[in-house]
Amino acid sequence: MSILKTVDEISSRNKVRKGWFGFILIFFLVFIIFPSIYVLLFGISDWQTLQDNVLSNPDRMAVIYGALFNSFGIALIVTLIDIIVGLPMAWIMVRKEFRGKKYLDTLIDMPLAFPTAALGFSVAIFWSVPVSAPVPAGALGWFADPLMLIILLHIIFTYPYMVRSLSAILEQIDQNVEMAGMTLGASRFTAVRTITLPLFRAGMITGFILCFARSLSETGGTYIALTAIGKDSLFFTGPTLIAHLKDLEGAQNVQAELVMVSMLLIVSAILLLFIAKYAMSTLRIPWSKVWPRWERKLSRGLVPKVKDGFSFFFMFLFVIIPSFFIFSYILMPAPEVFDWSGFFSAIMYSFAVAGIVTVADLLLGVPFAIYIARNSRGRLGRLLDSLVNIPLIIPTTALGFSLGLFWGGQNLIQDTTVLVILAHIAFTYPLVVRNVAGAVEEVDPSYEEAARTLGAKPFQAFRKVLLPIIKSSLLAGAILAFTRSLGETGATIAVHPGANTVPVYIVGLIRSDQFYMAAMSSIALILISFLLMFGLRHVTRSRGDQ
Amino acid sequence: MPSIRLSEVTKKYGSTRAADGLNLEVQDKEYLCILGPTGAGKTTALRMVCGLTLPSSGRIFFDEQDVTGMEVERREAVMLSQVYSLFPHMDVQQNVLFGPSIKEWSEKDCNRLARSMLEMVHLSNRAQALPHELSGGMQQRTALARALASGSKVLLLDEPLRALDARLRIELRKELRSLAKSLELTCIHVTHDQDEALVMADRIAVLRRGKVMQVGTPKEVFENPNSPFVANFVGQSNFFTGKVVSKGEWTIVEDQRGVRVPARPCDMEIGEEVVMAVKVGNTRIKSDEGFLKGTVERMLYEGSNVHVDLVLCDYLRFSVKMPNRKIGEFEVGSPAYVSWNPREALVFPIPPEGLEEELKVD
Repeated sequence: MSILKTVDEISSRNKVRKGWFGFILIFFLVFIIFPSIYVLLFGISDWQTLQDNVLSNPDRMAVIYGALFNSFGIALIVTLIDIIVGLPMAWIMVRKEFRGKKYLDTLIDMPLAFPTAALGFSVAIFWSVPVSAPVPAGALGWFADPLMLIILLHIIFTYPYMVRSLSAILEQIDQNVEMAGMTLGASRFTAVRTITLPLFRAGMITGFILCFARSLSETGGTYIALTAIGKDSLFFTGPTLIAHLKDLEGAQNVQAELVMVSMLLIVSAILLLFIAKYAMSTLRIPWSKVWPRWERKLSRGLVPKVKDGFSFFFMFLFVIIPSFFIFSYILMPAPEVFDWSGFFSAIMYSFAVAGIVTVADLLLGVPFAIYIARNSRGRLGRLLDSLVNIPLIIPTTALGFSLGLFWGGQNLIQDTTVLVILAHIAFTYPLVVRNVAGAVEEVDPSYEEAARTLGAKPFQAFRKVLLPIIKSSLLAGAILAFTRSLGETGATIAVHPGANTVPVYIVGLIRSDQFYMAAMSSIALILISFLLMFGLRHVTRSRGDQ
Repeated sequence: MPSIRLSEVTKKYGSTRAADGLNLEVQDKEYLCILGPTGAGKTTALRMVCGLTLPSSGRIFFDEQDVTGMEVERREAVMLSQVYSLFPHMDVQQNVLFGPSIKEWSEKDCNRLARSMLEMVHLSNRAQALPHELSGGMQQRTALARALASGSKVLLLDEPLRALDARLRIELRKELRSLAKSLELTCIHVTHDQDEALVMADRIAVLRRGKVMQVGTPKEVFENPNSPFVANFVGQSNFFTGKVVSKGEWTIVEDQRGVRVPARPCDMEIGEEVVMAVKVGNTRIKSDEGFLKGTVERMLYEGSNVHVDLVLCDYLRFSVKMPNRKIGEFEVGSPAYVSWNPREALVFPIPPEGLEEELKVD
């Protein structure tokens, strides 16, 4: 109590407030942003080494270009598929009423709650041919080709984002506009395409960017899926190439290649962010020509039914079943040597890391979020608002590598656990900031102002008025950060391949062909994540009720 | 015993000046209304008094003590805004007790205070209700009780009645004023509603473009405005521009076409360009005689009054409020005469930027 009072007291001093904000800002720049992109600086300052070791070596460059080509190609294909199948699904979720819709709603979000490592494993054994038999009955094993497998995997990662972004916008669009179009003689399909879809622009672009960025930066699941089918040293995406090189690091000098790949990934991610911002404000969907006869046919009879049926079919076969397939391992007989102790030590380590990360995110992210929410018109506020997105879109392996290079390369920090924690803070911090800033923006500043004129000191106004109002968003941000840290593979491997987190432990199990144990660990991790996500839903639901 | 003084206070937002050398004094226990059109800088002035906005230059004094840089919470000037800002997660009683709880009053004192405050605003039976369960009027009264319970002697009201429906608004005017008077508060009440200001204020400060145009009692501001703007903003006026042609018992103003009207005596010289202003409410309409002849262009029924727009001498536009009982005497197109008591017609020098610019309410 006395600490609170002291904080109340000193919060009243302008200098203290300025100093605290300065500290938060410095923390953000020094611990989050700079380490995340430090590799760019490193690479440019040491361009000669890159020139000698990578750029002048056509074989190495071919591998790097190949990996990037795969990454972008997969991201594009996946995103296009998402739009085509996500749009009708979003439509169903928003405009149709049917029994069990509530459950479907939860089901769509499920893949987001899966730790990527577990998901990658589940999808690999369902669709593809894993190196270690036996796999549970029911696995299709159709696609031995790693490219196909990764596309199928990434669809699961991105599909929920697309459906959610599209339905969020769809909910906001006034149906009356479309009705007006129909009373003016347009068929439903024409009305939707020419009136509603253009209004949809923002949702489409958000969905596109989210899916594209997610696919581009996905590491953990991809790496595990490739490992499970034994192609992790043959087929690469940008992020898994980093993981692979990191693996070789002990035996040969691959730093120049690591720097090169990371730089290319970071630059392309940042470019993507800017293109997205630009596209949001300028892009138009140019379709205004109509084909009344054809479109009328598309609006009636069998076509809409087939469309809806196909949406459900797609979702179940390509998203839900592959995700949950891993649970079928429960039906398999357990091997004779079977030991949970490795898992327990890993989960303790993961929990400790995620816990520390979450607390740090909250303490240092909430003030930051409040600042950007309250200064969204100021130049600094806007700049910070964009900067904070950077760690979210950079592939976590590149981020982890850059961060490790920054702290470890200078011998600033040697302790690998500290490095892992710092890396996890870097990519979870934006999650907390985004959630809290969004909530604070919704709260009229007049509440805190009223509190101040009633005699409350700034910190009192925060904890007695603002905090209770944004409590649920704060908790939501915390749970997201915790879950994300728990399931993260890429950044951890890039910082310290030997770190004993659960996803890294699972990678190790798969490598040593202990598929059953890997599956059990994945299931345990999934269940823990589900519990957390369930808590999250509960929290956000009660917020909606208020 | 707070008196408040603003001295040369300026607030710039980029190139616009929300306050432009404001000078204003509020006496202890006075109820001052700041009246002005939207965007005049009324709210900015209020926010600077309580410290939520810091002035770019100038000083603010409470009881002649400089508080310009003082923290909001130490000023003891409580703000009641048009959106009330009741804390949504607290019930009525918790809201009311926010100020005392910050000051760590004992529970006994708090409860007693809450009871008396809620009684005063007639909300004793809604103490446990959450803000969103209350009607607009109740929310307003809760916010008022919360402000009063904080013990501050300065009450700042930012359009406190704006969000209420018309009848309630009029009722609450009296209640609010008598409460402020009985608690001996120094009040600054910001409004764009001239009727509200006239009814409630001890004095009115008319604000425009960040400047105080006139300060005075409601009677002074209404009857003796110091500019055409104030004449028109506090009770709409009819205007007539011309030159002073004779001075004596009345001032006679004549325009280019030779039309002449009488007004109260003034200091202007013969031959000087002037504007004559007479309140719409003080302009009379008759069917047989008057100063100016014209035709009825439009009639708007307002209940006890009828608003009549006329075109006089084929080019002048005047408006008149006519008692309902005379409604049968005129119809659109019928000839009419207007007149007024010359004592109620004021003469101003012609504004430097022209009359139209002077009257703009932006």
